Amino acid sequence: MTISPDSLVLWRWGPLPLNATIVFTWLVMAVLALASWLITRRLSTGTDMSRWQNLLEVVVTGIREQIEQVSHQDPSRYLPFVGTLFLFIAMANLLNIIPGYMAPTGSLSTTTALAICVFFAVPLYGILYEGPVAYLRHYVQPTWLMLPFNIVGEISRTIALAVRLYGNIMSGTVIVAILLSLTPYFFPVVMQLLGLLTGMIQAYIFAVLAMVYIASATSARRRDARPAKSGDSASTS
Amino acid sequence: MQVDWITVSAQIVNFLILVWLLKRFLYQPVIRAMDSREQRINQRLDDARASQEEADRQAAHYREEREELERQRTGLLDQARDEAAREKKQMLQAARAEVRETRAQWHRQTAQERAELLENLRGRAAEAVWTTARKTLSDLANATLEAQIVEVFVARLDALDAGERKALARGSDKIRIASAFELDSGLRARLTRAVHDCIAEGVEVTYAVSEELLCGIRLDSEEQQLSWNLADYLDGLATRIEAAFSPRESQQAGD
Repeated sequence: MTISPDSLVLWRWGPLPLNATIVFTWLVMAVLALASWLITRRLSTGTDMSRWQNLLEVVVTGIREQIEQVSHQDPSRYLPFVGTLFLFIAMANLLNIIPGYMAPTGSLSTTTALAICVFFAVPLYGILYEGPVAYLRHYVQPTWLMLPFNIVGEISRTIALAVRLYGNIMSGTVIVAILLSLTPYFFPVVMQLLGLLTGMIQAYIFAVLAMVYIASATSARRRDARPAKSGDSASTS
Repeated sequence: MQVDWITVSAQIVNFLILVWLLKRFLYQPVIRAMDSREQRINQRLDDARASQEEADRQAAHYREEREELERQRTGLLDQARDEAAREKKQMLQAARAEVRETRAQWHRQTAQERAELLENLRGRAAEAVWTTARKTLSDLANATLEAQIVEVFVARLDALDAGERKALARGSDKIRIASAFELDSGLRARLTRAVHDCIAEGVEVTYAVSEELLCGIRLDSEEQQLSWNLADYLDGLATRIEAAFSPRESQQAGD
């Protein structure tokens, strides 16, 4: 039984393997990018629009509102990173209904890669919007003694982020595989449905946690700032 | 559970590419479209607000105009009412003046008609008296009225005292006797004898008919005149008739 799509190597070029994780990631990327391109090719700025455009607007608006609720900041600067995290994980998990498809999020490599992205995005956003000194001062707050604990906290939450997503998705795949061998026909379908639900929840949790980490790094400077309204931020973006 | 670091690197690159792709094809166009729509909606709202304000302004303008017209109408009505009252007053004054004028004219006409009536009445009364007396005298005395008049006149001549007779006779050698009727020769001889007896012997006596005398005889000398005329009685009758009209006249003047 193949647990991780990493082990399914389709092609190898020297030391570089082309495994199922990368291939299915490309598939998810292609689906997302192509769908976006097809729908946003002809956007209507009037009051009547296509239902696909409506769907995209609902998704984008929903993500923006979530970011704003978590960060109390203008969501525009976080939208590409956090929105892409959510959409990628959600789409990767959603495509699980296709037979033969293996979710890239079921690979620890993928989730580690996403967690590393968050790991670097947090100080990047912090330094970008607060300045390096103000950001680095967080690590010695309230005293110098907290420096190692803060660093360990940064690393451990990154690992937790990666393992949480990997564990959830991988377990879903494994459970379905085991149940298929024990009680075929009906029960695995229910578990598949449950897996879809779990996948969406994990996408949400991953994106929201990433946003929380970023917001905690950038909130010191904006603690006194008033939470921006979504309408205002949209008009100024 | 193992981590393939090559795959991790590839996935990091893949994810960053996906971030760029979605930013390029999803977030930016959608947000731009939403912003554009919001701007259009705001624009429409602003337009609607402007239209509403314009409508409010126009409504206020028309309301003011209507009130102004109402004020003008009230003013015109008051003016018309005043003019009508003034006109009415003038017309009433004119009507009163006309009534006064008509009444005065009526009074004048009435007075004139009364005078004419009196004149007429006097003539008719004289004529009636004349006719009645003539008939009465003729029936009773078996003599003509003329003869009776002549007798009355002769009696009056006889009744004259000496002074009056001298006054009649003074400076006149000719006496003229006028009568309302033609005297026959007998009456003329009677009168001539009476004159000769009472005034002066041998004085010339001439006779004439005078329309002025209603019914009577008048004797004219140079200086004096003696007459008996029914008109004298009728004058008295006319005076009494006028006196009978007078209270009514004063009563009408009081109205």
